[in-house]
Amino acid sequence: MTEALADFTLHRPESLESLAILRRAVPEARLIAGGTDLLPNLRRGLVDAPALIDLTALPDFAEIEPLAQGALRLGAGLRLADLARAPELAGPRQAVAEAARGVAGPAHRNAATLGGNLCQDTRCLYYNQSDWWRAANGYCLKYRGDTCHVAPQGKRCRAAFASDLAAPLIALGAEVALAGPVGERRLPLADLYRDDGADHLALAPGEVLIAVHLPPFAGLSAYEKARQRRAIDFPIAGVGAALARVTGGWRLSLAVTGTDSRPVAIAGIDDALDLPLSDDMLARIDKAVQKQVTPMRSTMISSHYRRLAASALARRLAQRLAEQARDAR
Amino acid sequence: MNAPARTATRAAGTRTPLVDGIEKVTGRARFTADLAGDAAVARILRSPVAHGVIRRIDTTAAEALPGVLAVVTGADCAHPFGVLPIAMNEYPMARDRVRYRGEPVAAVAAVDAATAARALKAIELQIDPLPAYFTATEARAPDAVLLHDDKPGNVEREVHHVFGDPDAGLAEADLVRTATFTCAEINHAQMEPHAAVAEWVPGREELIFHSVTQVPFYTHKHLARCLEMDPAKIRLVKPFVGGGFGSRTETLNFEIIAGLLARRTGGRVALVLSREETLISHRGRPETEVTLALGMRADGRLTACKAEVVMRGGAYAGYGIVTILYAGALLHGLYDLPNIRYDGYRVYANLPPCGAMRGHGTVDVRHAFETLVDRMAHELDLDPFTVRRANLLEAPLFTPNGLMVNSYGLPDCLDRVEAASGWKERRGKLGPGRGLGMACSHYVSGAAKPVHWTGEPHAVVALRLDFDGAVTALTGAPEIGQGSSTMVAISVADTLGIDVGRVRVVCGDSATVPKDNGAYSSRITFMVGNAAIGAARNLRTELAQAAAAKLEADPADIDCAGEVFSVRGSAQSQLTWAEVVAAALAVDGPITVKGSFTTPEKAQGGGHRGGAVGSTMGFSYAAQVVEATVDVDLGRITVDRVWVALDCGFAINPLAVEGQIEGSVWMGMGQALMEETRYAEGLPLHASLLEYRVPTIADSPPIEVHIVESVDPLGPFGAKEAGEGALSGFPPALAAAVADAIGLDMDALPLSPDRVLEALVAKRRAAQRAKRREDA
Amino acid sequence: MTRILRLTLNGRARADAVADNLLLIDYLRDAARLTSVKQGCDGGECGACLVLVDGSPRPACITLAAQCEGAKVETLEGLSGPGGALSPLQRAFHERLGAQCGFCTPGMVVSATALLRKTKRPDEGAIRAALEGNLCRCTGYVKIIDAVQTAAAEMAADQTAEAAG
Ligand SMILES: Cc1cc2nc3c(=O)[nH]c(=O)nc-3n(C[C@H](O)[C@H](O)[C@H](O)COP(=O)(O)OP(=O)(O)OC[C@H]3O[C@@H](n4cnc5c(N)ncnc54)[C@H](O)[C@@H]3O)c2cc1C
Ligand code: FES
Ligand code: FES
Repeated sequence: MTEALADFTLHRPESLESLAILRRAVPEARLIAGGTDLLPNLRRGLVDAPALIDLTALPDFAEIEPLAQGALRLGAGLRLADLARAPELAGPRQAVAEAARGVAGPAHRNAATLGGNLCQDTRCLYYNQSDWWRAANGYCLKYRGDTCHVAPQGKRCRAAFASDLAAPLIALGAEVALAGPVGERRLPLADLYRDDGADHLALAPGEVLIAVHLPPFAGLSAYEKARQRRAIDFPIAGVGAALARVTGGWRLSLAVTGTDSRPVAIAGIDDALDLPLSDDMLARIDKAVQKQVTPMRSTMISSHYRRLAASALARRLAQRLAEQARDAR
Repeated sequence: MNAPARTATRAAGTRTPLVDGIEKVTGRARFTADLAGDAAVARILRSPVAHGVIRRIDTTAAEALPGVLAVVTGADCAHPFGVLPIAMNEYPMARDRVRYRGEPVAAVAAVDAATAARALKAIELQIDPLPAYFTATEARAPDAVLLHDDKPGNVEREVHHVFGDPDAGLAEADLVRTATFTCAEINHAQMEPHAAVAEWVPGREELIFHSVTQVPFYTHKHLARCLEMDPAKIRLVKPFVGGGFGSRTETLNFEIIAGLLARRTGGRVALVLSREETLISHRGRPETEVTLALGMRADGRLTACKAEVVMRGGAYAGYGIVTILYAGALLHGLYDLPNIRYDGYRVYANLPPCGAMRGHGTVDVRHAFETLVDRMAHELDLDPFTVRRANLLEAPLFTPNGLMVNSYGLPDCLDRVEAASGWKERRGKLGPGRGLGMACSHYVSGAAKPVHWTGEPHAVVALRLDFDGAVTALTGAPEIGQGSSTMVAISVADTLGIDVGRVRVVCGDSATVPKDNGAYSSRITFMVGNAAIGAARNLRTELAQAAAAKLEADPADIDCAGEVFSVRGSAQSQLTWAEVVAAALAVDGPITVKGSFTTPEKAQGGGHRGGAVGSTMGFSYAAQVVEATVDVDLGRITVDRVWVALDCGFAINPLAVEGQIEGSVWMGMGQALMEETRYAEGLPLHASLLEYRVPTIADSPPIEVHIVESVDPLGPFGAKEAGEGALSGFPPALAAAVADAIGLDMDALPLSPDRVLEALVAKRRAAQRAKRREDA
Repeated sequence: MTRILRLTLNGRARADAVADNLLLIDYLRDAARLTSVKQGCDGGECGACLVLVDGSPRPACITLAAQCEGAKVETLEGLSGPGGALSPLQRAFHERLGAQCGFCTPGMVVSATALLRKTKRPDEGAIRAALEGNLCRCTGYVKIIDAVQTAAAEMAADQTAEAAG
């Protein structure tokens, strides 16, 4: 018999309308999709949830839908195992499939969803521990306590957001569709996140992520994550990269996950790059990443390493995509 | 030669699936936690404080909760337990003082898990903190508070051994090098979390106890001691056990606690620990610092070795004294090296106690030794194989510290992996970032002197033969996945000339089997194997007499092969197994015989203090080559392939020998690449299988195994151990491969990406500085 | 809250009263007494508890029993052939020593079963990919890969024989 979970009621709405009714009726209910992030946290006593709302019976929730001009709508309920082998993600947008393939282990990916991946909790060595452990440590700023053990001087929680999918999706310019009490809205995915480990999602009360929209894209993309083991492990730094032709050259978009409390869209790379990328340009990319990510001591591996790994991956992916683009011409 | 020729009808030497394997692949195998059924649920309250004096434990509120069946605290057991009779300083629950975060202070049994959890919360615990020490250096500081009043300086044991003349040896050398290696603490992380199911039988006042133990006999004794019971009133059962690797080689606190709770409730209690608690129970390999000086001649001949070893042992004694002695003793026995100085310090700290782990005592020291040898070979422009060959032993011999070596297959091991890996052709030609490295290692086949000295034989096996014609082998040797029951079945079957399937092995129930010291120090094959052969010979004698009477022949001329008895030299007179069994039983009914094994005095080590540790009947020897690729951007190492050869004397079951070698090499890989514990002020940051990183299949290379058979004169069929010897060769072979690949020498384990990258950055900076200096 | 959970467990329909907060692993081990489903970690980290839910491996320790309403659930106990005969995978794990202590074995065989149902002759890379979430501490995985390859080859040979016969 494992440690008993705290009591809760499980609801399973079959339409957005009944979901909306439920959310009004039980505002403190938590959403659950695959449960591969929420249930480990529930087992460790990290979640107060008198009720859970299972999203997996919602209609059109797990569909991939091609839209006009090559845009794509990915339902938030898509399983990562399905994303990993979706033909729609085999070409220019393969970074998304690569990221999905790299999440956790195969059994998790059979359960885990896109929405759950993007809305997963932030992580920290001082947070993802048992209740005994956290109590012995005086809890922490993220949950029940008042100090961040990673940055005790600071005023906010520095837990890291480690969704693999967020990085390539941001690099590909994704938007999210949110359904809430006042209807649907669209938001750039990057804006879904806030730089606060204890409150990292910009979802309004009662809002649900229902889909991800990818704009038309004809370039190249890739995702690579640094981690200690080649499976199971979360990214200690993950980089999504997209390279596309624009007037006057090529545009490189980079986004980094696993280092900060939110995914970091790397800014300041020239709008129109020349290929092949010069050593000088690669060095600038490396510098930009090193400057813009701020990993803290929230993982077993050093924060310094995570910064170096993020920049090394960015440089490498940029170079690789540039070479592929040249070969394709 | 005592090794049987490999023939189709001989059981010994034949690849044999495990006799208890079917249960494992069908899900019928019952492990301890699977026996919980409707038992009460037990939980442990653990200290949140690393070091402190217990002021108050109030359990009244917890006891008053509906559904709570029993609450126990340190007050309920006044007997310490531990490994060596001279070093028992641990109580199942802390009594006056807590010494590490996570140490049990109380425990409850309740009708369900939720009630048990509530009860733990209701226990009031007040501890006044003392200064706590999390490194060996802090603990050894002159003004440090003592963890144990009888251990000044917080040093559990100091060892100073000198053999030969190390200073003269170093003076003779052409090259002397010194280096300090730091090896992180690691844990066994066996896949089965700890568990015990204890049942009190009221009226008879008996305890039926199921546990995950590797040492049922020791646990039996400690339960009797701590519960003040007549051992005859305890029945100790070891169900299927999900791996051990040393984590269960000593009685653990949760076992005693389960016994106490069962008695208090007067019923069945299941205490199943979480993974976090299992990691806190620890007993793993300590954080170890090895400072090593080696002298080498220009031809690669080693002249002397000086080693200083400091181990951070955690809060209690456990196996600590044995570990620090092993570390020095096993500097001997691998190479011909007469001049050795060893200074060892086992230090207490406010952390979970360390203990025995696969390759007990030798791994970190062997890593330092082989790595330094590799570097010196490089400096002298010698091939690492050449250096090893320059230092070989010649068996039989006794080492300077009195260890007996009767068989020595290392030369063959070297030849095999050198050829298989294409070392000569491929080394240095693999391209950028890729390299080959090699190292050697060895391990004991059972401690020749057990920690609990009783004067009894080291191993006893009993055989029963009854009307059904089945041979039942009764052995206390705990089968924990290593294949010991299968080894017993093969040894018996081979000696009797019958099918392995006719032998039924019963192990791990004190009600039926003879006592056995347990599964540690790779003792079972050598000791229990010999005892099994002895028992089977005794049975064979009785059967031969019965057959001889029927065939009117001399018992000495009776052979049995393929379950057919015959008279040597005569093709006609034959009897079936059933016929002979019937005839033998007619003499005096069902037959019970036994065989035993005792180590000879001369195997029991040197006469110096601590000289028994390391002593053994024979060493396994191993050489391995590792091929690795280093990603210099990420500091990440890929192990591409391993070639390993191990001299196990004789492979009684080559299938299991391969499995043991693969598993041990791979476990060495985990330590070399990624495994480490880490604490925040004594709280384990690694307390899960996400943060304690056991390699996945995606991280694991193909391992090509070569079995070398030196046929030990005293081993069963010539066999020695096979499950530990290759482990300690992996980390140094990998370090050598990394040095070969990118010219980087690393002094720390594991070779995790952050350590590698930081070392690379430091090296680049140093090179730039040197260049600047040159330019200027 | 409590509800009636209806599902097919190892080929048999069942209905049990379960609490909403009951984990699938506890339902299988405690209510259905299918103890091959092992708890190796504190949630989602080791693969010892894997079971097939509608044919796909799932970690039972981080799945709610109630989420399996109407599902087909299979554990190692249900993977043997008619009359309890060993499946080719079970036999290969036994004969090739894919199981040492046997604690990871249920999860391993579950993952490998899902793989071989989809892919007839997986290459080594595919086997590694399918088993990458299953930790084993005994074998170094060498003989586990061998066991899966052996079973796959045997199943392919059987099918060829069937087709020919
Ligand atoms: C051992 C292990 C390893 C892991 N490794 C990785 C890894 O490498 N990379 C990685 O990214 N993740 C990893 N994870 C985390 C997790 O498995 C994945 O992130 C997964 O994609 C989460 O999806 P889910 O559907 O299971 O989420 P759930 O657990 O169901 O939900 C996660 C969170 O998102 C919320 N949520 C779910 N759906 C929605 C929605 N539609 N709208 C709004 N909120 C929603 C839930 O309320 C919950 O708070 C790992 C987990 C484990 C246990
Ligand atoms: S028990 Fe470890 S993943 Fe489920
Ligand atoms: S066989 Fe023991 S964990 Fe895999």
